[in-house]
Amino acid sequence: MKLLELNNVSIDYQQGTQKIRAVDDVSMYLNQGEFLGIAGESGCGKTTLAMSIPKLLPAAASISSGSIDFAGERISDFSEAQLNQIRWKDIAVVFQGALNSLNPVQKIVDQIIEPIMIHEPGISEKTASNRAVELLEQVGIPGSRAEMYPFEFSGGMKQRVMIAMALACKPKLVIADEPITALDVMTQAQIMDLFRVLAKDFELSLIMISHDLSVLAELCDRVQVMYAGKVAEVGQSQTVFGSQVGAKHRYTQQLLKSYPNIHQERIFIEGIAGYPPDLAKVQAGCRFAPRCDLAIDKCFTQEPALIQIGNDHQVACHLVPGDSK
Amino acid sequence: MTIEAIESKSPKTMRLLWQDPLGRLGLILTGFVFAMAVVGPMVFPFDSGQVGKDASSILQAPSSGLLLGTDELGRDVFRQFLMGSRISLVVGLMATLISTVIGASVGILGGYFRGKTDSILMSITDFFLVVPQMPLMIAMGAIFGQNLSIIILIIGLLSWPRTARIIRSQTLSLRERAFIVRAKSLGSTNLRIIRIHVIPHVLPMLISNTILVVAGAILAEATLAFIGLGDPNWISWGSMLHFAFSTGAVGRGAWWYFMPPGVGILLVVLAFTLLGHSFDRIKNPHGGTSS
Amino acid sequence: MKTLPSKVLRLVISIFAVCTFNFFLFHLIPGDPIRLIARAQKLSPEAVAKMRKDFGLDGTLVEQYFVYLKNLLHGDLGFSFSLKENVSSVVFRALSNTFLLLTVSTLIVVLAGIAIGVYSGSRYGTKKDSSIVLTSLILWSLPTFWVGMLLVFTFGVWFGILQISGITTPNAIYGSYLEYVADIANHLVLPTLTLAIVDIAFFITVTRTSLVEVLNEDFMLTARGKGLGRRAIIWRHGVRNALLPVLTASALYISALVAGAIQVEVVYSWPGMGLLMYNSVLSRDYPVLEACFLISSVVVLTANFLSDLLYRFLDPRVEAGQ
Repeated sequence: MKLLELNNVSIDYQQGTQKIRAVDDVSMYLNQGEFLGIAGESGCGKTTLAMSIPKLLPAAASISSGSIDFAGERISDFSEAQLNQIRWKDIAVVFQGALNSLNPVQKIVDQIIEPIMIHEPGISEKTASNRAVELLEQVGIPGSRAEMYPFEFSGGMKQRVMIAMALACKPKLVIADEPITALDVMTQAQIMDLFRVLAKDFELSLIMISHDLSVLAELCDRVQVMYAGKVAEVGQSQTVFGSQVGAKHRYTQQLLKSYPNIHQERIFIEGIAGYPPDLAKVQAGCRFAPRCDLAIDKCFTQEPALIQIGNDHQVACHLVPGDSK
Repeated sequence: MTIEAIESKSPKTMRLLWQDPLGRLGLILTGFVFAMAVVGPMVFPFDSGQVGKDASSILQAPSSGLLLGTDELGRDVFRQFLMGSRISLVVGLMATLISTVIGASVGILGGYFRGKTDSILMSITDFFLVVPQMPLMIAMGAIFGQNLSIIILIIGLLSWPRTARIIRSQTLSLRERAFIVRAKSLGSTNLRIIRIHVIPHVLPMLISNTILVVAGAILAEATLAFIGLGDPNWISWGSMLHFAFSTGAVGRGAWWYFMPPGVGILLVVLAFTLLGHSFDRIKNPHGGTSS
Repeated sequence: MKTLPSKVLRLVISIFAVCTFNFFLFHLIPGDPIRLIARAQKLSPEAVAKMRKDFGLDGTLVEQYFVYLKNLLHGDLGFSFSLKENVSSVVFRALSNTFLLLTVSTLIVVLAGIAIGVYSGSRYGTKKDSSIVLTSLILWSLPTFWVGMLLVFTFGVWFGILQISGITTPNAIYGSYLEYVADIANHLVLPTLTLAIVDIAFFITVTRTSLVEVLNEDFMLTARGKGLGRRAIIWRHGVRNALLPVLTASALYISALVAGAIQVEVVYSWPGMGLLMYNSVLSRDYPVLEACFLISSVVVLTANFLSDLLYRFLDPRVEAGQ
């Protein structure tokens, strides 16, 4: 069952007198209980796209077209008051860089209780506080530390706190924006295990944003690769990362080649030459064409549409033949 | 040094200042005040001996000949006003010069050499920062006399601590940077490093701070003069207000006497404040001088 | 250097330093002060000799210094010849009047200033914000004593409705304590207003700047994400964090507050420390002037110390020596 559906969503940023389209006509969906990973370089629009769901965009950004449906309701039409009702309660966010995402002068337990008290008005503070401590223990933080302040926690622990806090109101959807990027590898592994356990316990649906494909490959059922504000490729993780079908978009292929594989023989790592395009000066045709080594003339004039090429596998590339209609 | 600083401002900075609405207002006001101070007393000289002929000429309202009326001695207020602009400005600028030289030196030396030098310098600086300025100025004014030079010295000597603190933290942040260490390892003397690396780096903040100090110095002079500690031989806007107040001009409703000097002080202080804040915003986009 | 006992020690050392500085400053008076006073007050030779002995001015400078310190510890600040009573009683009476004035005006300035600063900062970039910023700059550029003169003229002379002089109406007879309080309150209005007009700019500016910085922090987005209402976001998360730098900045404010108070007391003849200083300058009554400077310095030092304590109490990061 589709929990979340975005149709032809475009998001624009107002920079002075210029309007920059950070997300261009993107459609995507998320099934209940599913883990979706959104990957791409910095500036490809993945954070903007995800943050548009609970409408946590900066003032300069706005959804200029398209619709967002969540649990059967068109939340893109919601007023601020209506959005405040579903924020955290139905859709919670684990923010990027937990270093500064916690209020430095508020105790941890109070920060977790805060959304509970707002979204469950009848509840007593004692009950809420018990739940908070339980959540902390579930993410591996001893309850005795609940009365402490953020500065008394390490980076990894703060990230766990953010996760516990996100689950405070038992949301249907959790959006995690680069949740483990700032952590060391050992802690990364621990947090990933944590996500797996919690997903089962809380029956979560998760959107995880990362530029690290290996993380998404391990954790997510489906993955969506974005480039310059558009979807390049989307499909089941096994399909895209597996060896049977594999990635079909040149960008995804190049991205995967950028990661050394410990099992294969040593190869020379090629990055992807060039830089992501300036979204203020978007050129005609496929956005990846200037950096693509397989580009043909058509790629520079006509923008490729996202077409189905297999069971739950879509690619936007002229070189990939579509599913026979 | 303020004059040199103004001259050394690149045309680009001037243009940026002009583009900022507050900066533009500051430039216009400053220009106007300087023009008034330089040209005014030349065109309309003031003779303090030219008192009114009889009782009827005292505290007269403005008329065609007397743009701002007369004071309690029947003297032309307009000419006093122009003279006052000059003194207020001169005292402000000179006191700031002293304050900046001392403050910058203390700040750079403390921030660059650190250790014992810094501890001693900062103890002195902090002492003067915590002691309330005005009572100290009043005490010193009362003790050392009411001479214009002494007043300039007093104001200068009590304004440098704030500058010292700001320049010191700037110097400290610079010292951490690699190129200082590199320069030293190449055998540069401390003096050379300070001259070539430190001073250019702290200059933008020093300039914006200096401009703001001028504003404070002018206010300080006005306050001291109002309290009666001004130099009786010179007319400043503060001393005009002192006489206006103590001879009851306020009670008599002689607005032409007590309003213009106050407006003058307001405009000059505002001019430098706007200029200083605008300059600060242009040159130091990441954090600036404290207000 | 961050523990409480070390801070108390620093306070004591600072006070000691101020006393010493005070002593040496007032002994730089050119000319023999006794002779100046004697001439001004027309004293007899016996009185002069006694004064010399009382002031301890009959010994070396170092001896005088220790006599001075000893007297201070006993609360003896000398004798005022222009007012003909002990300096201590004069000063402390004046001090309580100044406290009254400053307490009332500071309350208004802090509360209103912070409120306006929050209002302005939460509307950063809007026209309302810009006009408040400009107004603050103008207010801060005003000479406090001139504002006083304008208000005296407008309300005292022109409209003739408010009190412009002193703390109570001379020769007034009060039917009850309430009438006495009302009379003082009546006299308090203009001086407080004068101080507030200029000083409020400081708190508006500092609060606004601090809030704007805090609003850009990541945890503000977290607050938004939780579905909190705008007011809760700004006050519980924004202002709560923004007030800490404001408290730090208020240490600078105290110095400006003292300067403002002196000017206001002179303009309104408010019988506080400021007026006392002013009069003692006119009459060259150095013992009083010296005591005023000393006491005001000690009060400011103590106020700074207390605000520092308050900060440590409010910011959980400081306690742990962060």
